Formats: sequence, structure tokens, C-alpha cells
Amino acid sequence: MTVIPDLVGLKVAILHRLDEGIGRLVRQLGLLGLEAHVQWTPLDLEATPADIVLVDADQGWSGLLPWSGEPAPVPMVALLQSEAPGRVAWAISEGALSILPKPVVPAAVYPALVLAVAAHARAVEAAARMERLEERLRMRPLVHAAVRSIEMAVHCDEEAAYAALRRAAMKRRITIEQTAAEMLAGVIPLSEAG
Amino acid sequence: MGFFALVVALRFAMDGTIKIGILFSCTGPYGSIGRDCRDGAALAFAEASEMAGKGISFEPVYTDPEGEPRAYLEQARAMLRDGCRLIIGTITSLARKEVIPLIEKHDGLLWYICPYEGFEANESVIYTGACPNQHLMPLFEHLLPRQGRRVYLIGANYVWGWEMNRIARDLLRDAGGEVVGERYLPIEETDVDRLIADIRSRRPDFILNNMIGPSSHAFLRAYKALGDADPAFRPEVRPVVSCDLTEAEIGEIGLGLSTGHLSAASYFGTLATPENERFRARATTAFGAERRLSSFVEGAYVAAHMLMDAVRSVGTDEPSAVREAVHTRLFETPHGPMRIDPRTNHAALPFHLGRIRDDGNFDIIASRPAMAADPYMTAPREGSRSSLRVVS
Repeated sequence: MTVIPDLVGLKVAILHRLDEGIGRLVRQLGLLGLEAHVQWTPLDLEATPADIVLVDADQGWSGLLPWSGEPAPVPMVALLQSEAPGRVAWAISEGALSILPKPVVPAAVYPALVLAVAAHARAVEAAARMERLEERLRMRPLVHAAVRSIEMAVHCDEEAAYAALRRAAMKRRITIEQTAAEMLAGVIPLSEAG
Repeated sequence: MGFFALVVALRFAMDGTIKIGILFSCTGPYGSIGRDCRDGAALAFAEASEMAGKGISFEPVYTDPEGEPRAYLEQARAMLRDGCRLIIGTITSLARKEVIPLIEKHDGLLWYICPYEGFEANESVIYTGACPNQHLMPLFEHLLPRQGRRVYLIGANYVWGWEMNRIARDLLRDAGGEVVGERYLPIEETDVDRLIADIRSRRPDFILNNMIGPSSHAFLRAYKALGDADPAFRPEVRPVVSCDLTEAEIGEIGLGLSTGHLSAASYFGTLATPENERFRARATTAFGAERRLSSFVEGAYVAAHMLMDAVRSVGTDEPSAVREAVHTRLFETPHGPMRIDPRTNHAALPFHLGRIRDDGNFDIIASRPAMAADPYMTAPREGSRSSLRVVS
């Protein structure tokens, strides 16, 4: 099930020259319950905290956003009028997750924000999951080593040794990788696995 | 509307004066280009008023946004509210993009006459300036085999500079060339010492200049000084090549200071054709013999005549009727007969490569006949086989 994110109360930083269209955008954000701040200088999230960033992709330059090249820490929407591929590429490289076409039509604001917020949440979740899996992958050799040690200590086959390691992990409610590491370090006695 | 009212409306259209907006920045950083555009349009309207008596007369409404995006918006809105449904104007893509939503909203039609970076084909715009397949691509096809493939890219710090250089990178990659440097300057920045020093150390085969206005002029002057000091940087060895530098700006740079460098355009004042001889004679009468004729003078002149021809042929300035007339007619111009492609709203244009002379005019050193515009560059290109394009 897809949960529509709640936007009420969120702070929005708009990186764009102030003009009529941006005035309309600020008004619409207000109606949606968001608090907007407009600037056309490089963003400093510590000085002006923002939950969502809207950036002028027609005129934006590298260095406007502090995370240039890194994943954006907050959801980002590109304000775009140009069709030039180079400008779309810039928006992608800075981390834009949706596009709000200029001149801004009020009806397009909410969907663009929701899309960016939802995509950002999904990306954060995927990144955390990937980090966990990578960590487990890195520790795979320890699991092998621990299984071999158990085999030798209690004279069983590989399958039984792995089952024993799993039991020990479940008993402590920690991952198999962590159990293996602690066993090899002598924190958990090998005999316990038997 | 009843029959009587319809007749009155038609009679009004046939007998009335039609206002045409002329929206060019004649002052500000690229004012010399705007003045050429304004003068070209004015010449066409002057010729039309001499031939008046065919029912419709035209009243050009001139404004000068001085290069300010907000002024473009305000002045275009005032024109549209004042009854100008057809507007010739804007020079930079920034200004064009600013004005287009208003033109769309008020159901107008914009004539855009300047070379630009492509990637646009709006229903409410007639594009009579060249896009990259009509300037940059033939330029590289001509130059890379002759001049070399190691290119230094410089550009103005906005979409023209960024996008032209992106396309140049793309073309160079496909051609097995190399980008030996890439720099951007704001339009009004005239401190070019670091740029010149970098070019001197990297020794490219040529420099693609996509800067505009004061930064471009300052660069060309400084590059002349470099060439005087070090013959390896003379124009015959390492030329500076542009797709928008015309007769309009050579005087501003300083006569003789940019001699020998190259520029691509769909028109040069020196074009030796009977059509252009006739145009030159009229322009000489209007502006004096000293006036150098650029693709901006000619482009605005052509656009204004084309617009008036189309309006006369349908008897109204109703934009959709005018657009249809533009699509179906063949227009005689100083650069040859011209058609507008109904699919893209872009003109088919010839390509000329010119070399700047001491007198500020260009010697035409290569030409290609008119080719259709491909604003989104969708035509297959030699050497480009991947279905995914690297765009950054």
C-alpha cells in the first residue's frame, strides 16, 4: 500500500530569483500548509533548515546545492522550463526526484512535492537496506571461518555447524555474522555452539 | 456573432491598422545585436508603408527591455494587451522562455530570429534563426577534418553557453575528438586573463566561443594580444570559432582585432547573390554605405516581411491563420527562398562559414544549401551508435 506523505508543517527552500511565478508558488505552498523561503544564493541547510528543496534547473549552477555530486539529504524538485538535455541532466545530477514545470501552475505543485518526498523516502530506505546487506556481505568470510571452527571443535559436518551457529545467534537475538565474529574473537565459547 | 457583425469585423480587419510588437534590447550588454534587429524590422516596415494602399497597414510598436528579463515580461504583456498579437523579438533564450508563456496565454505568435541552442518547437513561435544542426554540426563537419579535433570550449554562463558546449562535447566524442578545456564566464565579465593563460598552456586546435556580449569582446581582444605576442595563437593557426558572432559586433570589439577568426551564420552581408545585392542597395539607402549587414539585420527584415505577407494573404492577424499561411508559402529573402517546416515551425536555412576581415565584414569560405531544422537533433548521426546519450 502506498502511503501519501503528510506535507503539513514542512519547510521548503526555493532556490530561484523572486518573480511573479515564484510568488504564485509560495502562495500555493502556503495553502498546502508548507512554509516557504526564497533565496538565490547557495543553500546552507544548517543556516536555513529545509525539509524539501525546490531549485531553478534552468539557471542553477554546480555549487548552488551543498551536496553537489552526493545524494541529496532532503527531497528535491527541479523547477524547469528549458527542454535542453544538459539542464535535465543537471537536475538529475543534483538529485532532483520530480519536476515542476515553469511557469508554475498551482495544480502541479502538490503532485510534484508528493512524488519527490515519496521517492526520497524510498531511496533512503533502499540505501539503508543496501548498507545492511553490504555489511553482511563483508562479514561472510567470518561466518565461513566460524562454521569451520565449530566443525573441528565439536566434530560435526558443515550443515550441523551452521545450524548450531544459527541457534546461538537466535538465542542472543543478534545476526549470524555478529555471532560468528564474537565466536572467533572468543567472546562466545565454541562449545556453546555444540 | 450575427452576419452583420461578422462583415463589420472582417471589414475592420481588412481596412484597419495591424499593430506588430518589436521587442529587442537595443541597449544593455547585447544592445548592438538588438539595434541590428530593430533596424532590419524598421526597414521592412518602411518599405511596406511605401507600398501601402492594399487595405492593410502595419504599425510597428517598438520597446527596449534593455536586457532585463522582467522588462521583457512587462513589455510583452503591454504589447499583447495593446492589441499586438504578432511579436518579433527576444534575443537570448532566457528572454524567449520568459515571453513564451504570455504569448501562449494571449494566443499570440512570436517570431524568434536568432540562432539558438535548439530543444524547443513551440506552436506559438516561428523560428527563423538557426539551431545546432544548421550551425554547430555543419561547422564541426567542416572544421574538424581541416583544423584538428582538440577543441577548447568557452561559453556564457547560461543555457546558450552550457547547451552549445554540451552538444559540442557530444559531437567531439562521436568524431573521436577531445575537449581540452571548458570555461564559462558571466555575460558582463571582462577579466579573461586566466582563461587566456589556460588556453595558452593547453594549445587547442581551435576555440569554440559561445560567450556573448562584453565577455566575448574582451576575450577576442585579449586573444589578439596573445597572438601578437606568440604567433602560435594567430587566427590562421588557432582560430576562435562562433555560431553567433556577426557583423553587428565586430566594430564594438574594435576593427581589425578579430580579423581572421571564423563564424557560422545563415547570412553574411557579403553574400554575392542577386537577391542580396538588391537588399544591400535598399539597406545602403536607408542606413548609409558604411553599415555592415548582419544576419540579425537581415533576419528581422525577413521576419517582418514574412509576417506582413502572411497577414495580407489571409486578411487578418489572427495567429492560427497567420501561422498556416506561413507554413504554406515560400518566402523570397536576401539569403534565398525560405520555407517554414509546419512540423517544427522552424525555417530551413543555409549554412555559411565566414572569416572576419579588417573592415568588419566576412569572407565566405564554405557554404551549404538550405537544410531543414532538426531542433531536437533526432536525425541519426554518423559515429553515434548508443541508444543512451551521455548528457553531462
